[in-house]
Amino acid sequence: MFRRFVISGVLLWCALGASARTRQHYGGTLRVEVQSDPWQEPDGIARRLTMDGLTQIDSAGAVQPALSVRWESQNDDHRWQFWIRNNVQFHDGTPLTADALAASLTQACRYGCAWSKVYTLGQSVVFTSDLPIPDLPAQLAQAKFLISHQDSQGAQQGTGPFFIAGFPGGVMLFTANNDHWGGRPFVDTVEVWPRRSIRDQWMDMSVGRTDVVEVPAEMLRQAPQQHLTVLASRPENLLLLQIASTGSLANPQLRQAIALAVDRSALYNVIFQKQGEITASILPGALTGYAFLFSPERHLNRAHELRSGATPPQLSLAVEGGNPAMQLSAERIVLNLREAGFQVQMAPAGGKIQPDIVLRQIHLETTDPRAALDEMVEATGQRVSINGSDMASIYRAEKEFLATYTVVPLLWLPQAYAIGDRVRDLRFAADGSLLIADAAIEDAK
Amino acid sequence: MLRPRYNPRKQMIFVRRFLIALAVAWLGVGSAHADAVADREQRVADLAKRIAALSGPGLTKLTIRNLSSLSAEELPDIRKMLERDLRSYGVRVSDADGATAIRVTLSENAAGGLWIAEVQEGTEVRVTMISVLLGPATHTQTEAGITLRKSHVWEQTEPVLDTMTEQLGDSRRMLVLEPQRIVSYTMAAGTWSKEQEFAITHGRPFPRDMRGRLLEGQGHLFDAYLPGVLCVGAGNDQLLSVSCTDSDDPWPLSVTPNTATQKAFYNATRNYFTGVLAPGFGMVLQPFYGSTVIPRANGVAMLFNGIDGKVVMMENNTVKAVAGARDWGSDLAAIHSGCGSGTQVLASGSGVAPMDSVRAYEIPGHEAEPVSAPLALDGTVTALWPSADGTNATLVVQSGTTGQGKHYEVYRVSALCY
Repeated sequence: MFRRFVISGVLLWCALGASARTRQHYGGTLRVEVQSDPWQEPDGIARRLTMDGLTQIDSAGAVQPALSVRWESQNDDHRWQFWIRNNVQFHDGTPLTADALAASLTQACRYGCAWSKVYTLGQSVVFTSDLPIPDLPAQLAQAKFLISHQDSQGAQQGTGPFFIAGFPGGVMLFTANNDHWGGRPFVDTVEVWPRRSIRDQWMDMSVGRTDVVEVPAEMLRQAPQQHLTVLASRPENLLLLQIASTGSLANPQLRQAIALAVDRSALYNVIFQKQGEITASILPGALTGYAFLFSPERHLNRAHELRSGATPPQLSLAVEGGNPAMQLSAERIVLNLREAGFQVQMAPAGGKIQPDIVLRQIHLETTDPRAALDEMVEATGQRVSINGSDMASIYRAEKEFLATYTVVPLLWLPQAYAIGDRVRDLRFAADGSLLIADAAIEDAK
Repeated sequence: MLRPRYNPRKQMIFVRRFLIALAVAWLGVGSAHADAVADREQRVADLAKRIAALSGPGLTKLTIRNLSSLSAEELPDIRKMLERDLRSYGVRVSDADGATAIRVTLSENAAGGLWIAEVQEGTEVRVTMISVLLGPATHTQTEAGITLRKSHVWEQTEPVLDTMTEQLGDSRRMLVLEPQRIVSYTMAAGTWSKEQEFAITHGRPFPRDMRGRLLEGQGHLFDAYLPGVLCVGAGNDQLLSVSCTDSDDPWPLSVTPNTATQKAFYNATRNYFTGVLAPGFGMVLQPFYGSTVIPRANGVAMLFNGIDGKVVMMENNTVKAVAGARDWGSDLAAIHSGCGSGTQVLASGSGVAPMDSVRAYEIPGHEAEPVSAPLALDGTVTALWPSADGTNATLVVQSGTTGQGKHYEVYRVSALCY
């Protein structure tokens, strides 16, 4: 399985690594269609177009300067100082200052973050923490820490490669920022068509009305049959079960029984059409190299043994996101759990009663193993303590976290788009974001 | 019957240079390989120590599986080393059932190799792991009229825009132009050592598809042309000084001896020349990516590859399209090889592909004719500039897929006659 993962990863990355021999042309309009709200936090496509982070992840997964030009760790990673880039302005003309950065990061941190305090020191911002944060530069590249400020009208203004130009007819229009610190984007304009169903997106692509459309993981096999050229990322969305550790499932043996009862192969083979990877690890194998140590095998008998003598009342399982593939997956998991002797009902999404089990997808942005574990665990509303920076320490921390059976990793799924013939050099960043500013239109002059 | 003859001098020189280059390349690869092997022995010893700490002395059953890019042929050696090192800790490998089971998995991750040992005693499994260097991949390349040859000059992970070398008494100095800095290196004991580094200051943001060129200065050491910026380098054998200023001065296109320097204005926010020449000859050209000078029967002509994909030749104040250049990419450089007509135009390939090539052409009239096989490259051409003496060209190739990270290799490309 690991070998197949490596091979498929290599193929995908080879495809993504395809770069141009003829230099990119400037000009033209790139049309993108999406199902979701482009401003959705943290990683809606419009946010990455209009905002920058303090750092960014390059194509190899290394942390690179963005709005900060350099950084320094002090006091054994308890204190970090980031120096900001000069001559950068928000789109409304307000200069980027250390104060604006600190304010934006404090705002982003309202639901918790790794540092305890951020403050300004001349043209730099300083982060302090009671615990060491060796992976802070990698964490700051995440979409939730994109920098913005509120203008006098209350609108969010960023420093990104594109300006918001308007919303004519429900289409979001973005124009190239000539003064972007990273260089002017190649295309003049990006049109984002929000809330388009996959069917409508594919129809528009088939008649040449758009340049970039989404391809859900479960439809990756279908796309080439529809003559779509697909750009797929490495597996970076984790399908998982999140299990409440209170109420009916307070007993960890019951949670372990649920983890052992789920048949990942059925989800992988039938619903997701053999796309992605089966996993029992919260981090991708290609990132850590140790994912095989967590067995994804189903052990129904053992699940029965663990459950016996402790029959919980009826459990509820809800789906977050609610697309058809997720719904199907949830229904199949309900069957798996019933086979193990659990009484499970599907709960309506967003219902008033807290479900016992939630089927979710979490997107992994970070490519540093330690920061990635922090990111994934934090996305489940929990914390993990990693003692050391070597791979063995990360493994131990992950093993300890998974042993609580509050999270059951199921599948790693790729993110994919279909690309029109006239688009060139559109690639994914290592954090899974589309690098639209580096894309060009072939027939632009 | 063939008449006996002397080996042609050029061929002998080629053979000697080729063998030297081969030896240098082999030594380079060999050295990296030796590092990996030495690291591997040490890491096997480390792993054995950790396993022994978990298992204690006694009989064990050892299995090794490979999930990494190591070849199957390497496994027996690793096993042999591991068994030897385990023995030194009193851990003896046996096939007997009931012994402690040790399962070693040779895995890898984004950073390199990861070797993991699972030690099972009864139902308890304990795990230890170590990181390992993986050996370098080797590359081969075939060559086929006039043969193009590339010799490796330099490589690094940061983008390279151009390089320049100069003789410093018995030693040599190399300047590497990067988007944000100029770095000088000196040759000592056969290896380049970093000498000085100068940040390139600029008021305006640089374009995304960054280009730049290093040229010998008039009365000073060098000029570095970047979009909207000119850096002037001065100094002596010991120390360099570099000063950069925002500048819209035109970039020199030709540095051919005995011809006036032709210049052109570069668009500071794009990846091409504006089409305005200095001197201007009273005509306006389409914007172009590159230009080069080739000798003609009645003097010289200039070639321009336009951003519209067309190649034109300016000769005797007239501009005519060049046929047969549809396969040309955005970069070109003329080299005076002495082969064929004496001068060939090197052009990168056109289109979008992960692998690029460079091919030599001659233009007898207004049609480009290929005179060499394409020189295959392990990546895409990001820069191709003629050298100061015009006998070869500096080629920068970006290799590495997105997941592996970019890598920039600098080559000197020359033409060999046979």
